[in-house]
Amino acid sequence: MNDQHNTLLADFIVERLELGVFAVDAQFNIVLWNRFMHTHSGKSAQSLKGSNLFTTFPELPESWLKRKIESVFELGNYAFTSWEQRAYLFRFKHNRPITGGVEAMLQNCTFLPLKDEKGKVEFVVITLQDCTDNALIQQRLAEAITISDEERRKQQELIVKLEDAKNQLFQSEKLASIGQLAAGVAHEINNPIGFVNSNLGTLERNVTDLMKLMAVFESKEAELPEAAQQELRKIKKDIDFEYVKEDLADLINESKEGLGHVRRIVADLKDFSRVDQSGWQIADLEKCIDTTLNVVSNEIRYKATVVKEYGHPPLVECIPGQINQVLMNLVVNASQAFPERGQITLRTGEEGMYVWIEVQDDGVGIPPENLQRIFEPFFTTKPVGTGTGLGLSVCYNIVRKHEGELTVRSEVGKGSCFRILLPIFHGKMGESEELEAALSVPQ
Amino acid sequence: MIKGLNEDQTAALQELANIGMGQAGNSLARIWKEFVHLSIPRIAMVDASRLPDLILGFVGDTAVSASRQAFHGGFRGEVLVVVTAKDRNGLAQLMGFEGQLDAAEREEVLLDIVNILGGACVGGIAQQVSAEIGFSAPSLIGEDLDPLDVINPEQLAIDTALSLEVCFQVENRSLTAHLVILLPNNEVGALADLLDQFLCTL
Repeated sequence: MNDQHNTLLADFIVERLELGVFAVDAQFNIVLWNRFMHTHSGKSAQSLKGSNLFTTFPELPESWLKRKIESVFELGNYAFTSWEQRAYLFRFKHNRPITGGVEAMLQNCTFLPLKDEKGKVEFVVITLQDCTDNALIQQRLAEAITISDEERRKQQELIVKLEDAKNQLFQSEKLASIGQLAAGVAHEINNPIGFVNSNLGTLERNVTDLMKLMAVFESKEAELPEAAQQELRKIKKDIDFEYVKEDLADLINESKEGLGHVRRIVADLKDFSRVDQSGWQIADLEKCIDTTLNVVSNEIRYKATVVKEYGHPPLVECIPGQINQVLMNLVVNASQAFPERGQITLRTGEEGMYVWIEVQDDGVGIPPENLQRIFEPFFTTKPVGTGTGLGLSVCYNIVRKHEGELTVRSEVGKGSCFRILLPIFHGKMGESEELEAALSVPQ
Repeated sequence: MIKGLNEDQTAALQELANIGMGQAGNSLARIWKEFVHLSIPRIAMVDASRLPDLILGFVGDTAVSASRQAFHGGFRGEVLVVVTAKDRNGLAQLMGFEGQLDAAEREEVLLDIVNILGGACVGGIAQQVSAEIGFSAPSLIGEDLDPLDVINPEQLAIDTALSLEVCFQVENRSLTAHLVILLPNNEVGALADLLDQFLCTL
């Protein structure tokens, strides 16, 4: 190939390559403008030769682009722009008139110094590469990565929730076992308590009888010979007979009280766990409340004063063990609403075919944005590890299962009020006569 | 003395770097029309594991942005530019950016800086030893990084590198940028040959 061939080849490459190529001199006058630039700008090389780049294309970012081209003239090194930071240098139509997806052709540009024999930069040649297709693929990849990251994050969250649920299940299984154990123990304790109680009654009668005998005996004491009297006085003094006499009655009374306490605890435990009767029953909700309060009294004693405003509603067909669980959750939650100490008010009443229970506290209240979510499973405002966020959602489900409603109203700074609404009659007990009979029992 | 270079070569390299940076300063001053001061380049052989400390050493404990660019030809290596957030907007103005920068422009500033500073400094040295040097497109390392996170030694392809660090100051604007030229140690031989050729011409 001779020089003429070389020139022809170079011209051909510059003209026909699918690459924008143009060049400017140090005054930013256009000295080269290839076919690609002609096609996309609509301006021919002939019309542009010698004209100023920035006068011809006033939309170009002049201040920045001048600096960039100047630096190539000065330093004699390449410079670059990338579509990722600067979408395009010239706003050309993209190559996707049908499939679209971008607003303009995305371009990677390279600024090349064209030097004379002495190494001085004479022209800066700028190439424009259409990156639209690659860019679209890259953008789609980036989106896919974002989506997969998001999914992975959700999975992580689910794993944590599953772990929580497992712990909760484990916890409730444990509670159920403890409940059964407690009920079993309560049952076992009942027998000895029975005979201790009966023996204590007998003991009390016997002591009274003995005391009667002693009184008569003491009134006749003066009639005994002096030596015998002296001996009796000595024994009485040694055993502090006067004190023993008084103390006997106290001892028996205190034992009876203590025993009564034990019997109440045992009865509450049995009532609360309802191991013996777990199905639908006719129950007195006020009695359910009392039982629950006894069971949680230790939990709330130092946090809240409990006020009962009972409206004596009719008996209700329900699963008392589950209603107790709801009440316990609501009361314990209420007791945690106070910064220091507060008041929990428990109300009951009747409304048409329904009975309602309200558990109200004068604590911190629930912000409106949380109020919508408190019955959602796993929603909790307690510190990580303290609450599972399942308590209220379990309550909600129990009440729904009873075809009732669990609602809440709350004001920040004033407190919250949870209201359980339960239908009186379900027909789940089968024998309607039995139910009617039960319901007709006067309060 | 630098490992891989003899005493003469080490002295020549330091001298060439000094002259090269002087030329770079002149070129930058002509482009930016501001007086640019360059520190005397510090040249050392550095273990890859020490590079994070090196960067912390010249910027101090502050959030930085960084970009890199590869060069090839007579000798191969990479240029790293580290700037603090405080200086970035001022540098953007120098490079002709106008108005409030958006996220993409902030990135482009970093790419332009490494291209200009790297071009000026590597070009300055290459010119002294009559080597032809070309540059690949620059890329971003990251924005608002801990200085220790600019380079992760575990991801480097080299154990040791010849480092040449320079600090730029644009006087009237009190702007600062830091530049490190890194040559993998297996390129030191090529540099030594170029230095020998240069010494022969003296």
